[in-house]
Amino acid sequence: MIRLLRFFLILPWLASAPALANDVAPELTATTASGVRLEVFSDLSPLALNRIHSWHIRLQDAAGRPYAAHRLELSGGMPEHDHGLPTAPAASSTGNPGEFLLEGMRFHMPGRWLLDFTLVGPQGTETVSLELQL
Amino acid sequence: MPRLLLVAGLIVGAGLAAWRYLPTPAPATWTAEEVALIKSLSLSQLPALPADPSNRVADSEVAARLGQHLYFDTRLSGTGTVSCATCHQPDRLFTDGRPLAMGTGIGPRHTPSLVGLAYSPWLYWDGRKDSLWAQALAPLEAGHEHAIDRLRSARLVTSDPLLSRLYRLTFGTPPALPGRPVSAGPLGSEAQRSAWHELPETTRRRINEIFANTGKALAAYQRKLLPGRSRFDDYADRLNATNNATASELLAAAEVAGLRLFIGKAQCVTCHNGPLLTNFEFHNTGVLAVTGQLPPMGRYDGVRKARKDPFNCLGDYSDAAPEQCLELRFARDDNSLVGALKTPTLRNVSATAPYMHGGQLATLTDAIRHYNEAPVSMLSHNEAKPLGLRPVERRQLEAFLATLTAPLSADTHWLAPPERE
Repeated sequence: MIRLLRFFLILPWLASAPALANDVAPELTATTASGVRLEVFSDLSPLALNRIHSWHIRLQDAAGRPYAAHRLELSGGMPEHDHGLPTAPAASSTGNPGEFLLEGMRFHMPGRWLLDFTLVGPQGTETVSLELQL
Repeated sequence: MPRLLLVAGLIVGAGLAAWRYLPTPAPATWTAEEVALIKSLSLSQLPALPADPSNRVADSEVAARLGQHLYFDTRLSGTGTVSCATCHQPDRLFTDGRPLAMGTGIGPRHTPSLVGLAYSPWLYWDGRKDSLWAQALAPLEAGHEHAIDRLRSARLVTSDPLLSRLYRLTFGTPPALPGRPVSAGPLGSEAQRSAWHELPETTRRRINEIFANTGKALAAYQRKLLPGRSRFDDYADRLNATNNATASELLAAAEVAGLRLFIGKAQCVTCHNGPLLTNFEFHNTGVLAVTGQLPPMGRYDGVRKARKDPFNCLGDYSDAAPEQCLELRFARDDNSLVGALKTPTLRNVSATAPYMHGGQLATLTDAIRHYNEAPVSMLSHNEAKPLGLRPVERRQLEAFLATLTAPLSADTHWLAPPERE
C-alpha cells in the first residue's frame, strides 16, 4: 500500500519532467541519414562497466527543432564477441517533444559496443548506429 | 645418417622444450591503455556499496548483528545441525572446499563465496534471485540445505529472547503467530504444505513478513563481507602515466607476465573485469554438466524464476518503489541465455577451489586448461574460443591469479560466531 502511495506521489514529477538543458554537452551523438540528430545524456558519466543506469535521449531535426518521434527502440551488442546487450533497455517518452527516457542501460565488457536506434516519427522509420569504446 | 637423425631429433626436442617452458620476452613498460585497464581492476576503484532499496535495513548495524546471529545459528535448520556457516565457512573465505554443497543433504551446486556479493545484482549461479535478502531465504527452506519450514523459522526468530530482542530493535514488534500447527510452509513436505494452505491468508502474510525480514537481516550481515587489498592492488595502484614499468618488487616476473595474459591473449578480463574481477553477468563457457545431471538451462530459467519470486524487488515484501527495480524490470531473457551461468569473482580464487557451478574442476590448473581448450558446450554454444596458451603461459596466468588472494577487509568480529549479547 505504502509502495503504491509512493508511486502516485512521484507521478506528478514523471508527468512534468523538465526539458533537457541546452548548455550541457551530450555524452554521445549520432545523426540519421535524413538529418535527425540523436543526443545521449547519461545518468552515469563517464560511462562505466557493470552499473545499471538511464539515458536521456533528445532528438532534433536538421533545423535544431525537437523531432517528435513517438517511438524509440534500441538494440545492440559487441560485434567482436557476437553477443547483445546484457539487459533489455526500454525507452519511454518524457512528455516533452523529442525527448525519451531510456532505462535499463548496462555494459558488462570492455571493448567496442555498437548500438542501433530505431526512430519512428513524422519522417517514418529511421535507424541510426552509434559506436562506443569502453 | 643416424647421426643426422639424432641431431634433427635433438633440435626438435629442444624446440618443443622451449615452446613449453621458455617465457616470451616481455616489454619493459605498459602502454597507457594497459595501465588504465590494470588500474580499473584495483580495489581502489571499487565504488561504495550499492544501495539496496528493496531492503530498508540493508545498512543498519543492529540488523547486521541480528543477521550475524542468524548466520551462525544451527537452530535455523530442520535438523538443528546446519547454519549458513556450514557451507559458507568464514575460515575458507565463505566457501566450503567441496565440489557440491552439503547441508542436510548434498545439493546440486557448488557453494560460491559470499565475499563482495553485495555488489551483485543477481544471486545464484543462474541468477534466480535479485537481492541478497531474497537469496538468503531460499536455502532455509531447501530440503538439502537448512530444511526448516517457514513457520518454524519465523517462530524461532520472534520467540528466542536474544533474536526477538534484536528483531524488535530492527523491525519493530512482530505480528503474533499461531501456536498451531507446529510447522507449515509452501515448499516443505506434503504435510507442511497442506498445513500452510489451511492457514488464513492474513496469517500466511504475517509469517512471510517475518521470513522476509529474516532474509533482510542476513543480507545486512553479508554486506559486511568485503575483499581485502592484495599484492595485485598495490602493484596496480603504483602504476601511472610516468611510472609504467612492468617490473616491480611487488610482483614476480612470472606474475606480471600472467597479468599481461589476463588482460590480453587469455581474454580473462572480458568477463572478469572491474575491481571484483567479475561482471556478475551470465555466460555459457562450455563447462561439462555435473555427473548425473542434465546440462543446466542457466540464466534462461533463472530470470523467469526471479520474475515469479514473491520476494523479488517488485514483490509485496520489498521496500523498493517499482521504478527502483531497474535490474528486474529490464532483465534480458532471450535464447542466448540458455546454459549461461554467473561469472564468479576471482578475488581469493587460488584459495577457494574447486571451481565452476558443480565444482567440476578441482584446481586452477584445470580451470585454465578448460578455458584454453574452450570445448563445445553440451547446450547452446560456448561463448569462449580456444586461447592457444603455451604451458609456460598457463603457469604464468595461474601465478598471477594467486596475487589476488588476501585476508578480507571486514572487521574480524564479523568473521566468527557472535558472542551472546
